[in-house]
Amino acid sequence: MKIGREVESLEFETAVKLRLYQVIAETTRAPDAAELARALVTSPSRVEEAFRALSAKRLLVLEPGTGSRIRMAPPFSAVETPFLVRVGEKAYYANCVWDALGVSAALHRDARVFASDGHTGEPLGLEVRGGKPVPRPCAIHFAVPAARWWDDIIYT
Amino acid sequence: MLLFRSEETIDLWCEAHGVERRPTVSLDQLWHLAVTWYENRLTAESRRPAPDEMAGIFSRIGLQGPFWDPRSDQWRRT
Repeated sequence: MKIGREVESLEFETAVKLRLYQVIAETTRAPDAAELARALVTSPSRVEEAFRALSAKRLLVLEPGTGSRIRMAPPFSAVETPFLVRVGEKAYYANCVWDALGVSAALHRDARVFASDGHTGEPLGLEVRGGKPVPRPCAIHFAVPAARWWDDIIYT
Repeated sequence: MLLFRSEETIDLWCEAHGVERRPTVSLDQLWHLAVTWYENRLTAESRRPAPDEMAGIFSRIGLQGPFWDPRSDQWRRT
């Protein structure tokens, strides 16, 4: 019986994940637990339980201090960031420059990234065209070692 | 991680923030990471690479050493 419950829990967690990403892809905004619960015909507390499991797998980051609102569903950000990604007529926010390219990769669509130089703040755009980035002078700098990325993923 | 227009502005940023300069990641390398991490993210099977897998992914595109190894304890808090 325990294995049966674990399988059921895993299937529900997958359903939450799929619906969550589907809503973000279609609407560009992240749903909260209550909205997903209505869509999946279940309780918000059950969705929050799935949120916790997905967070433990580092597939989600919840808004600090809440169990029901999403801050990051990588590569998407639920809040405005300096990384705006336009895909067709839609505009998404990404968590960082890696995730900005990740929006294009996740949606399998070409995209334009509106970002800025990390020091000067001057506009610095990137473009994915024909399934690959258009070459342009730029460089990416990681200040935090990989072993510490999740110490403070919002900063990273 | 931050995006810069040149190595020069990375140097200026590191100096201004007292951050150690690291080797830079190119646009092509970052695109490879973006595809590896996210191309299946909207599918049921999607998952984040495990630490062992991450070290291999980084190594294959030339990002090597303890800085790029999520299993490294070199930066563990004391």
